Amino acid sequence: MREVAVVGGGATRAGRREAGWKDLAQEAGKAMFEDVVNLSPKDVDSIFVGAAEPERFAFLSYVAPMVAEYLGITPRKVLARTELACVSGQAAIRYAWNCVATGMSEIAVAIGVEKMYPPDLAEAQTSMACVLDREWDGVNCFSAPPFFAITAQRHMYEFGTTKEQMALVSVKNHHYSSMNPIAHLQKEVTVEAVLKSPVVTPPLNLFDCCPMSDGAAGIILVPAEDAKKYTDTPMYPIGSGQCAIGNAINNLASLTEWVPLKLAAREAWRTAKITKDDVDIAEVHDCFTIAEIMEYEGLELCEKGKGGKFIEDGEPYIGGKVAVNPSGGIMGCGHPLGATSIYHTIEILEQFRGDVHKGRCVSGAEIGIQHSLSGAANQHSIIVYSRGSR
Amino acid sequence: MSKVRFEKIKRPEQIKLPFMLDFYPLQDEKYTKINQFFKNLKEGRLTTTKCKNCGKLLWPPRIVCSECLSDELEWVDLGTEGELYGFTEVRLGAPLGFVQDAPFCVGFVKIGGLLISARIDDAKYKDLKIGDKVGLKVVELEDGRVFYRFTPIK
Repeated sequence: MREVAVVGGGATRAGRREAGWKDLAQEAGKAMFEDVVNLSPKDVDSIFVGAAEPERFAFLSYVAPMVAEYLGITPRKVLARTELACVSGQAAIRYAWNCVATGMSEIAVAIGVEKMYPPDLAEAQTSMACVLDREWDGVNCFSAPPFFAITAQRHMYEFGTTKEQMALVSVKNHHYSSMNPIAHLQKEVTVEAVLKSPVVTPPLNLFDCCPMSDGAAGIILVPAEDAKKYTDTPMYPIGSGQCAIGNAINNLASLTEWVPLKLAAREAWRTAKITKDDVDIAEVHDCFTIAEIMEYEGLELCEKGKGGKFIEDGEPYIGGKVAVNPSGGIMGCGHPLGATSIYHTIEILEQFRGDVHKGRCVSGAEIGIQHSLSGAANQHSIIVYSRGSR
Repeated sequence: MSKVRFEKIKRPEQIKLPFMLDFYPLQDEKYTKINQFFKNLKEGRLTTTKCKNCGKLLWPPRIVCSECLSDELEWVDLGTEGELYGFTEVRLGAPLGFVQDAPFCVGFVKIGGLLISARIDDAKYKDLKIGDKVGLKVVELEDGRVFYRFTPIK
């Protein structure tokens, strides 16, 4: 296995976009290729397209060859679409990384695309309710908001977590996304505004929930030894962990402790030869405020049940114990499912380059992690990136 | 240069709801090997499969034991009374087919050694609490398909 580098990336503005699925793919592809030098689409030999539900959201299927064509790529080594719900984008990165590492590919693209605003929003919700087993959980209306609402209810019940603590996550992430020009939401919110926002599924209010978004983002991976041909500022995936336990509600390890996250994190630290204390930036999956609180715990940044206090103490802010979601997270940047992980990977690259608004810059960052979860939080996936080559 | 013709065309305003936009599972022998679950449910029995070889209680019901790969499974009753482990109310963001029902309660119910998701009917969010007793309710669609829900036991 050889070392691999991410040499560049590009993304669209996320949001409720006046653009179609293929428009988004082209915007991101152009931005991605313009971020590197000495590399054209014709040089790319492999492409992985993260797309969670183009069949439902945009009535498109078989999207990998289509994206390749639109971006001027003629894959000669490996291509596929990757689907792992909200982690589809990170799945694309994993395949691209593996293909370059094993020598199957010399230059691979991982691009995620999602168009989530059809003319009728209820149709999009129908797609979302098919992520959990449609016949046994989706049928009971368990799409993400009800599932995470009950997760929050149980966390509050078992550990005394409060709605105010959850609101603080939204305040932090909207604060950072207000300084991120590609974020879906670029306005600050207050605790009071979160608590007064419309109730979606109690105890979750609207500002406890990430928005659905249109968006696309892509990165290019090459062997580390070639990286400097394409950029002065590559970054390196140096370790990872991924774990899934169960799928139906009955078969989850626990509702209030994300065991697969803990296992994925420990595996990520082990393979990257780091400890959790080495992490400077954690881009984690804050699809709901309660999720980020449980991620502080699952990543073992704080004790089990103390995630609420961790944000109350300001620890996940820049300058605290670890900068969590300095991009603004999913809460602020938006959640175009198949592209989300790639947006946050590009964030780490830009942080390493010092190429972000100074109000949200984690200066001197050397190690960043990108975490995504999917389904009933039964699957967690982490990649560790280093600014320096190993 | 030829003249360009313009014509208005139609697409059907209404179509029968396609099965793949219908959340309820197909239930008869033609479509699923676990049709016994639905037959039992029609009789007011909530059941699942249990492995005769290793004894594992399996939910959702299935045809092969995911613990030992045996296909010698039997149907066992889960009872008709459960306990509310957690719940919420869908006020916004319901999918097509459920929009007209909102607001409605949903929850996770502990029953017969399992934790299963369900609609909680005839209940308001503010009146429910964790640990409440709930009883089995069977709903039937016009086409004869059935599904389980729960209602609070006063």
